[in-house]
Amino acid sequence: MESEVNDIKGVVFDIQRFSTHDGPGIRTTVFLKGCPLACSWCHNPESQSAHYELFFNKKICIDCGSCNKTCPFGNAREILQDSELRKEKCGSCLLCANVCPANAIEKVGKIYTSDEIVSEIEKDLPFYENSNGGITISGGEPLLQYDFTIDILKKVKRKNIHTTIDTSGFASKEKFLEVAPYVDLFLWDIKITDENLHKKYTGAPLNPIIENLKVVDLYGTKTILSLILIPEVNMNDQHYKAIANIYSDLINVQGIRLLPYHEYGNSKNERLGIMNHDSYSEPTDKEMSDACKAIQKINNQIKILQ
Amino acid sequence: MKKVDRRDFLKRSSAVGLGALILGMSKDLVANNRIDNTPLGWNTPMHSMAPKRLSDLTHRLAKTALSGEHGRSMVHADWTFKERDDRSLSNNTRYALAAMSIAQNAPLRIDSGEIIVGSATLLEASMNNVPLAGLPSTSHTTLGYQNVLPIGYIGLRKKIESRLKQEDLDDKGKDLLKSMLILLDAAQVWNNRNIAYLEQKMASASGDEKIFIQNTISTLKQVPENPPSNFREAVQSLWSMYAFQRLMGIYSGIGRIDEMLGAYLKQDLKKGNISLSEAREILAHFWIKGCEWIGNTDSKGSGDAQFYQNIILGGIDANGKEVTNEVTYLVLDIIEELHISDFPTAVRVNRNTPDKLLRRIAEVQRLGGGIVSIYDETGIIESLVKFGYPIEEARSFTNDGCWEVMIPGKTKFWYTPSDSLVLLHSVLGLREPVQTLEYPDFESLYAAYIKKLEENIADVNRGIDNVYQGDDHPLAAMFVEGCIEKGRGFDNKGPKYNVMAIHYGGFSDTANSLLVMKKLIYEQKYLTLSEFTQILKDDWKGNEPLRKLIQNRFEFYGNDNNESDAMLQRVFNDYTEIVSRVKERNGIYRPAGISTFGRELEWLPQRKASPSGNKSDAVLATNFSPSPGTDKKGPTAVLKSYCKMDFTRVPNGAPVELKILPNSVKGDNGIEALMGLTKTFIKLGGFYLNIDVIDSATLIDAQLHPEKYPNLPVRIAGWSARFTTLNKQWQDMIINRTQQIV
Ligand code: SF4
Ligand code: SF4
Repeated sequence: MESEVNDIKGVVFDIQRFSTHDGPGIRTTVFLKGCPLACSWCHNPESQSAHYELFFNKKICIDCGSCNKTCPFGNAREILQDSELRKEKCGSCLLCANVCPANAIEKVGKIYTSDEIVSEIEKDLPFYENSNGGITISGGEPLLQYDFTIDILKKVKRKNIHTTIDTSGFASKEKFLEVAPYVDLFLWDIKITDENLHKKYTGAPLNPIIENLKVVDLYGTKTILSLILIPEVNMNDQHYKAIANIYSDLINVQGIRLLPYHEYGNSKNERLGIMNHDSYSEPTDKEMSDACKAIQKINNQIKILQ
Repeated sequence: MKKVDRRDFLKRSSAVGLGALILGMSKDLVANNRIDNTPLGWNTPMHSMAPKRLSDLTHRLAKTALSGEHGRSMVHADWTFKERDDRSLSNNTRYALAAMSIAQNAPLRIDSGEIIVGSATLLEASMNNVPLAGLPSTSHTTLGYQNVLPIGYIGLRKKIESRLKQEDLDDKGKDLLKSMLILLDAAQVWNNRNIAYLEQKMASASGDEKIFIQNTISTLKQVPENPPSNFREAVQSLWSMYAFQRLMGIYSGIGRIDEMLGAYLKQDLKKGNISLSEAREILAHFWIKGCEWIGNTDSKGSGDAQFYQNIILGGIDANGKEVTNEVTYLVLDIIEELHISDFPTAVRVNRNTPDKLLRRIAEVQRLGGGIVSIYDETGIIESLVKFGYPIEEARSFTNDGCWEVMIPGKTKFWYTPSDSLVLLHSVLGLREPVQTLEYPDFESLYAAYIKKLEENIADVNRGIDNVYQGDDHPLAAMFVEGCIEKGRGFDNKGPKYNVMAIHYGGFSDTANSLLVMKKLIYEQKYLTLSEFTQILKDDWKGNEPLRKLIQNRFEFYGNDNNESDAMLQRVFNDYTEIVSRVKERNGIYRPAGISTFGRELEWLPQRKASPSGNKSDAVLATNFSPSPGTDKKGPTAVLKSYCKMDFTRVPNGAPVELKILPNSVKGDNGIEALMGLTKTFIKLGGFYLNIDVIDSATLIDAQLHPEKYPNLPVRIAGWSARFTTLNKQWQDMIINRTQQIV
């Protein structure tokens, strides 16, 4: 990682300006594709695969027929509506997305060089300066595209911009230690605190996530714990107690943010042709404030951020 | 419109009891005025997130005024005065005598518990007409309250009398100034009637109530005749002067209220004569008084209560010193708490504006309604100086009734609105047959458009040459510098500055359309100009894919894209250059402005399909904002695009509106974000910014259940209106725009 290559490329599925929930101030959030976890409640299911995908949004299709004409199989829309057919047939040639005038078929994931990302980021520089904002790299898991992420971070840091990484915490310890000097704040997702359940729901072990968190914390980087709350999965005292324990072991933690599960991801699943996805119930406002109280009851030193 | 019998009204108004408030407050009396007896549907707080600092009684008065109860019980001036048809008298004399008759006969209304009193109770007045005289009154200006308030009517009278003594006034001038003296007498008659009315009340009152009325009476005995000696008198004097103008049907802005009132409050606070919360109550009653015309007529579609009563806060004064003071913050407190949108308020900010003020603005903005807007004053002052105003005057700018910049108390202002987009439609032969559609390259097409624009502006200029030979409006004139000195009336070039601003709208869509043609026809040669115009003539019928392609593949103005922004910049520069060629002619100034003021609806029947992918029935961009749905990169990108323009080229202004979802400005960070938008707007050099925090779900619910939202202000296009008083077409336009927020 010593030598710096200027045109490191990465796959990005969205760049969101005026993002106000991913760290302090006004931020630009860069969403990278690819995640080592596979949570079925994911609100950005298009972030999970590291490759391009196609969104098909039937609602805005104007029935012009261009996609079918250009598709080598002659039935793009049919293919895209069914995840099995997609696997079987679609060659991901993207011809349909290129011709679709209505953006009903849309390519998710675009290659950027780190320089291109930096110049996108720089567009809102005065807004960051005037709101104590900066950039957030999110995903997916930013460290899955490690070279790309660290290159962006280094370049951005040189311009004195505040940097945040929104992470699943799942990557090698070394990688975390290497990016840490260029990161002002980690938003650290903790989904489930039971080892077995974690594995069951996310497909990944819990332990490294917590170990990495401690390492980053020891290094001196600030963290905020992000807890997604799903009534059927993790809204219980046992989880809150475990969180409180983790929290009190940390030195540089800034607080906890509670994120209610949202069905929002479902419509995106449908656009990916995934029809039979798991669904959960959304916590009510009352359940959210109860959760907040429950955590503070366990340890009133814990700062719950809005 | 319900007609109320005047005697009946008088009987009812005299039956109103008097309550007590903070100034000599009695617990019993306040208890009797509890919020329970508020008008139907008003048992909710003014805004669910607003803090409560003002008294219950003040809230009740606010709700009553906002409910339209007062407006609905207004009456016609149904009597006549004997000089009405006496042609031996001059117009101005008859105007003044009409005012006298109104002062003597108009119903009075002083509500229980009101600290600030005096009501313009005649329906004709609220409709911008001179009651009794049957003439249109005047509007679109901010009169010189800042000049008259400190000297009182007594000082004004002296000024008029001493001018009359000078030999050089001609007969017209003498006639005008004499009528002004009658008007001052009329104002005094009206004030005395209000005093007598209160004295009558006092006779049957006791205890604290008596003291309360006594306080009001002694205030009225001092002002507006004499210079105010304290804050309460200053607020009352300003209201009395303003209300008397209103009684004669004049719609005026108020202007820089913190500059006018700040010194009085400071002195009172220093002496310990008043607390900040008392001052807030007093000022809140001024705001409530400003709502008493609500409900005067059925809504005109574009929302109720558009009386152009604009307020300006903050900014530097004539000498370059920051104005912001305690009154500035009190005003923001009041707007935050009562959520009254009827005084559209704009704050002048600059790079030195304290964070404390920016934070308060953000906190008020976040509650929605778009009530408080922002002027980046540095560039505006520069543009006014460039236009030719002395720096001291430029620094004292206010606005006319929307956001068009003018010098208060010195200006007759009006503007001519035109649509730039229909000119493009004409060039393309969509509106009438054209001689040629042969444009071998984009430059020749562009040149044809600019030529059309030039011709159109020349027509507008010719039309302006002969305006301002109208009525003297002596009551307005005596508040405007130049009229007394010259002996000429308000609409007869009496004012120091006679301004007819030239406004065009539709530039965002014009530039987007030009970009599409440049790319598709001339660069990519995707189709020919005549093929394209045929598609437009057919209103895109059968060409939906192409229309969608244009909408989805182009990054239009508002996305911080240099190419599309440069196209708008080019049109903007050419437009402002053309208008600047005739700065003044026939004594009339003609600064350029960019606006639609909601005319994007009115212009629809003339507009055709646009090259930017819009059908002929699409409601397009408002003012200088991006076209609805085209700003796909959010508010920071919109501001970046907007601020690429050099606003010192548009001395009359070009505003941008941002609609932001409540969810994105939640919590402490939401305030940081809103402040960040404003600070960057200042840093990049904008003109006028309105941020409305709103989501479409709320608006859709309000459309279905208006009774749940009696006071839901939304930003329209230079003013805010209560959403439920808009007609369906306007509501749909606002909902549609709100649904486009990214
Ligand atoms: S990506 Fe290619 S193969 Fe797949 S649906 Fe589209 S056109 Fe057909
Ligand atoms: S190209 Fe797009 S709009 Fe046309 S039929 Fe296919 S999906 Fe629908």
